[in-house]
Amino acid sequence: MPGFDFSNYNRNAALHARGVPLPKATSTGTTIVGCIFDGGVVIAADTRATSGPIVADKNCEKLHYISPNIWCAGAGTAADTEFTTALISSQLELHSLSTGRKPRVVTCMTLLKQHLFRYQGHIGAYLVVAGVDPTGTHLFTVHAHGSTDKLPYVTMGSGSLAAMSVFETQWKPKMTQDEAVELCSQAIQSGIFNDLGSGSNVDVAVITGEKTVLKRGYVRPNERSQKLKSYIFPKGTTAVLNEKIIRKEDLGNYVSVHELSTTEEGGDKMEVDT
Amino acid sequence: MFSQNPIMNGPNYSFNDAPPKANAPEGARQHRFDPYTDNGGSTLAIAGADFTIMAGDTRLTSGYSINSRYHPKVFKIGGTTADQHDATLVLSVVGFAADGEALKERLDTICKMYRYRHGKPMSVKACAQRLSTILYQKRFFPYYAYAILGGLDDEGRGAVYSYDPVGSYEREQCRAGGAAASLIMPFLDNQVNFKNQYVPGSGEGHALQERERNPLSRGAVEILVKDAFDGAVERHIEVGDGLQMMVITKNGIEEILQPLKRD
Amino acid sequence: MDTLVARYSRPTYHQDELFSEQEQQDLCEGGMPSLKFAMPPVAHPSAWLRAATDDRSNPSCPIKIAHGTTTLAFRFQGGIIVATDSRATAGNWIASQTVKKVIEINSDLLGTMAGGAADCQYWLAWLGMQCRLHELRHKRRISVAAASKILANLVYQYKGMGLSMGTMCAGVTKEEGPALYYIDSDGTRLAGNLFCVGSGQTFAYGVLDAEYRYDLSVEDALELGSRSILAATHRDAYSGGFINLYHVKESGWERHGFSDTNPIFWKTKLEKGEFSNVTSDLSERV
Repeated sequence: MPGFDFSNYNRNAALHARGVPLPKATSTGTTIVGCIFDGGVVIAADTRATSGPIVADKNCEKLHYISPNIWCAGAGTAADTEFTTALISSQLELHSLSTGRKPRVVTCMTLLKQHLFRYQGHIGAYLVVAGVDPTGTHLFTVHAHGSTDKLPYVTMGSGSLAAMSVFETQWKPKMTQDEAVELCSQAIQSGIFNDLGSGSNVDVAVITGEKTVLKRGYVRPNERSQKLKSYIFPKGTTAVLNEKIIRKEDLGNYVSVHELSTTEEGGDKMEVDT
Repeated sequence: MFSQNPIMNGPNYSFNDAPPKANAPEGARQHRFDPYTDNGGSTLAIAGADFTIMAGDTRLTSGYSINSRYHPKVFKIGGTTADQHDATLVLSVVGFAADGEALKERLDTICKMYRYRHGKPMSVKACAQRLSTILYQKRFFPYYAYAILGGLDDEGRGAVYSYDPVGSYEREQCRAGGAAASLIMPFLDNQVNFKNQYVPGSGEGHALQERERNPLSRGAVEILVKDAFDGAVERHIEVGDGLQMMVITKNGIEEILQPLKRD
Repeated sequence: MDTLVARYSRPTYHQDELFSEQEQQDLCEGGMPSLKFAMPPVAHPSAWLRAATDDRSNPSCPIKIAHGTTTLAFRFQGGIIVATDSRATAGNWIASQTVKKVIEINSDLLGTMAGGAADCQYWLAWLGMQCRLHELRHKRRISVAAASKILANLVYQYKGMGLSMGTMCAGVTKEEGPALYYIDSDGTRLAGNLFCVGSGQTFAYGVLDAEYRYDLSVEDALELGSRSILAATHRDAYSGGFINLYHVKESGWERHGFSDTNPIFWKTKLEKGEFSNVTSDLSERV
């Protein structure tokens, strides 16, 4: 496994000791939940990413792929959840290839907790691990320091209290898939509206023995309101000191150019005013 | 708010000015006097030719929690009764809600006293100066409040006075305060004072003419205020729930409430 | 220090619901700048204040106070030129680009603002009051020396409590001629021909010292004042906005505009060929 590069550690520690503030990582001050139902498991997340009090991304994806039947919801430092899940995902894939068996949720959870424990909480990933494997349906939480829990319904992130209040009042054993999806969605919305770190939309992933369905933007209760006025400037509004035109044909003189196909694939289109 | 951004804090950060490390022994507890909390929220004021609009969102936060979805930040000042129906001035405060409340109460009391004694409401100019001294009297224990005072001046024109927490003040055309000030103020500079806008084709290079500033109509300002807050709500977590607007004209003060996003 | 605190402060907490006589008096007549200040209920008010408001020693302090920036004033044969920029910053945030940093103490005296904006505004307004009282008591105008000393003595009383101001008092009187004093919150009071104060002072001195002569014509002196501020706004990030120009004569002061730096900069560059370090020609770069 490629390790971390600590070559700037001493320098940064010295700078910090002299009062230089640490750079601020984008964190997903988040609401994530998971809930087992009869025949599978649902996980759900909000889609707000924040940097301090500023919304860094209004529609980020906090549900991470581990394997076709195991998915992960991540809270905490955005980069840490992203890379930790990707790393474990690839380890699990290799493991499954070498053993010739389907990956198990416990294996994933164990790999995650051992990885996180080794870094003593410095990797700020708080995860909800869910999946269905030959041994059954499983739902776990993994904390950044390496501790884990196994429960029928779980919440994590800054909106975990708001979400848990929904589970504690409405959860019942042996729910149907639709009931579980609706309950998780309500729990996330409780986080979206009552926790400042959470917001925008609800993403849901439903994992059953047969397949996994990712419902991106399952509920969108926070559509952006239309601006009341057009803010398009007439061409020539901006003062220009000087201009130099480089034609597309001549671009090759400055940088290497690779033509890409123009068909759009994947990625969300950004909302813009027209 | 952006001053916390280390990138923008860049080269001007002087190591010699860095705070000295507390040399308390390991495990020693320090009892501190911490009387302030940041309750978030944002305010906005724009002066027109014969009106002033003061606005603020109605969310009150601490940390990641919403303490109230309706806690007004904009107040009528100096009316003769509790309902303030005959008030002529409007004060908006943002920062620490308790200090804002105290400041509003104090200014209101003073304006009422003035009205009882002189039989006429205080002018904005006089009230603005008075507010400055109120703030400065707590120079060594400041109100953690960014205040904006609005009204109509002696000629009937819109007037906006903005303050720092210890009372330095200035009359301005428009001002945004609070958590999303750094998001709203550049928008206002561009849309109210037409900063960085030139008249297309009015000249080559340095002969290009700046777009002429003309006062906006009440309708146009109301639209700008709504759009400014809609923008702030999208990108600042402490702004939302409701938009409270006070329109001050010679006929009195009109209050408008509109919903904002609640996430 | 503690006696000083006791003398100029009163407790900030009131148990009574009703206002006392004294408080009613304060509410009605407190409009005048006075020496009564509320104090935080702690052992070391100044240390507490620094932690809460000084963004240099504590970059994440909760209260960001607006600070002033480049100001200059110089004596010459035709009186005194006073010039300032107009930017106010709170931390890295430009709080305003339209601050009036020349404070008109009365029709003859000018003060300038650098350091804490509120400190300068308040105490120079207070100084205006003292100068008027002096006039009423002595039936003649106060000298610049006396006015500046009133201010210097005042700030010296508050030394160490966190005031931050670097101000210049300029005036022309029959007895003194053109008189210029520098006063700062440490209690320093200096008479001199030429001062620049604020974070952009070094840049302003660079231009001012090079071109300054006592026998400058009025026109040249105004131009020099303006050019020095321009240099400071160009190199100092905390200075900018508009150039505020004043000329003080025996008959009182006279305003010479509040003009945007941007067109002045380009005019200076293009018509006089100065600021050759700035280029907009794309072909010069690689």
